[in-house]
Order: sequence, then C-alpha cells, then structure tokens
Amino acid sequence: MWIYEKKLQYPVKIKNPNPAAAKIIITQLGGPDGELNAAMRYLNQRYSMPLDVAKGSLTDIGTEELAHLEMIGAIVYQLTRNLTIDEIKKAGFDAYFVDHTTGVYPQAAAGFPQTSANLQVKGDPITDLMEDLAAEQKARTTYDNILRLMDDPDVCDPIKFLREREIVHFQRFGETLRHVTDNLNSKNFYAFNPAFDKRKPSCGMKKNMR
Amino acid sequence: MQSVMNQQNRPIQRQNTKAQLLRKIREYDFAIVETVLFLDTHPNNHKALNYYHKLKVEREKVVSEFEKSFGPITMYGNENKNKWDWISSPWPWEGEC
Repeated sequence: MWIYEKKLQYPVKIKNPNPAAAKIIITQLGGPDGELNAAMRYLNQRYSMPLDVAKGSLTDIGTEELAHLEMIGAIVYQLTRNLTIDEIKKAGFDAYFVDHTTGVYPQAAAGFPQTSANLQVKGDPITDLMEDLAAEQKARTTYDNILRLMDDPDVCDPIKFLREREIVHFQRFGETLRHVTDNLNSKNFYAFNPAFDKRKPSCGMKKNMR
Repeated sequence: MQSVMNQQNRPIQRQNTKAQLLRKIREYDFAIVETVLFLDTHPNNHKALNYYHKLKVEREKVVSEFEKSFGPITMYGNENKNKWDWISSPWPWEGEC
C-alpha cells in the first residue's frame, strides 16, 4: 500500500516558461525509458523475486521512480505556465496543445502515448534484473541527451539530480543481481529460471520440471 | 495490551498478536482514508476534522506498538538498531500480512 508525501524529492523552481523544452522533457514522463515505465517495471517484477534483497530493492526503487515521475510532471507544468498562443506556435507546441492544452499527459517526445509495450516482466529474476540494469542506463542516456539540449540552469539542476539517481539505481541493481546469482545452485548459473524451475529445462522434460 | 479471562476466570495480560495489531492498523487507516476523502471536499467540517485528529493519535499508538514487536511498516519504522528488518519476508503479496 502507498501513501502520498506532499513534497517533491528534489525542488523544481523554474522561472522562465519554455514549451519547446517541455516537449522534450515530457519523454521522461511517458516515453520508452521514462519514470512511469520504470516504476511499473520494478513494482510488477517484485512478485517473482526469490530473495528479500531483491523484493526490497525493487519496492524501494520502484517507489522512488514515482517520486521522479512527479518531479518530471512539475518540470513540464512549470515550463508551460502562462503561455501566449504566439509562444505556443513559435515553439512548435501547437500539436501537443491541440490535444492536451497545457495539461500534463504521459507521452514520449515523439508524441506516442505511454505504453507498457516498452517494459517487460519476464518472471525470471536474472532476466528481469538484467533488464533493470539496461533500463537505468537507457534513462541515464536520455537525461544526458536532455542536458545536451537544455541551457536553463533552473531546468538542468533537477535533471542532473534525476540523472544521478539512475546511476545509483544501476549500482544497487548490480548488487541485487549478484545476490541472486550467488544464491543459485552452482550448477544453475544463468541456466534456468530460479523462480519457476528446479532444474535446467530441456525438450520433453515436463515430468522433471517442478 | 488487552485483558482476557483464562479458563479459571482470572484476568491475564496478553500481548496483541501481529494479526490483531495489523487488523487495528488497517481499521484506523481505512477510517482515516474515508475521513480524508470527506475532508478533501468538506474542508470546513469541524466534526470530521475532530474525528480525523482522534483517529490520528490512535493510529500512531498502534503503529508504534506494531513496529516495536514486528518490524517496520514503512521505511521510516525500522526500530531494530542491530538489523535491517525492512526487507524481511513475508512481503504483503505473499498472503501473510
């Protein structure tokens, strides 16, 4: 169960609106490597994790991703406050505006809506943790690209914080993966799914599977 | 602590079990959520606000009793100074808490 804390994890205080920047940053709300997908990936992968270390890490990192989702929402909101129609047209924000006005809608920078087609829950702890490591790197690359495209320090400051969190999460997932592999039978190193099988799957092994 | 009678009809003191405390926390939580949703649309209702304050104090007592004996229910509640109990099984989806 969850409760809400009425504060951002890291402050967002943007003085100047910039709808062109909002159009780019919104990808971390509803894009392929965005915070919403990160939260859904980890919080749904938890169920098939065999170790307390993994259940704990996925719960706490998944929860932190929801806090990041809120920070991105705050950035997009503050970048699109008090806009004139001229500013909207000039920034190329008109295509977004016609569908959502200045509401905050989870979509990728290229305009497609948030979809869980960009995440996986494979039900295999090693496979899922490998995906999580990749996901943190993809999000870090996205923040790198955002920083390359931005020049307002009010925007870059919270984005830099979020980028650093990707690196910390990558580190913690690496340790989690090590705990999981260390706790496997030594004959089962990457060979079968420790959440489902008791031995290596092979053709016609149905009888021996569980 | 609650007082119950044993078979000889003498009162004995018994610790609340984990399940009993969890049930109480759930009851307070639900009452608080209901009151909060009501207050969100009736922010000037003093009767509801008083009820909220009464529930809040009671919930804090039960949560504190639970966390001292059975481990944290939020990441801020790891009372044990010698062990990180937060990650200990069972987790809520495993059907035991």
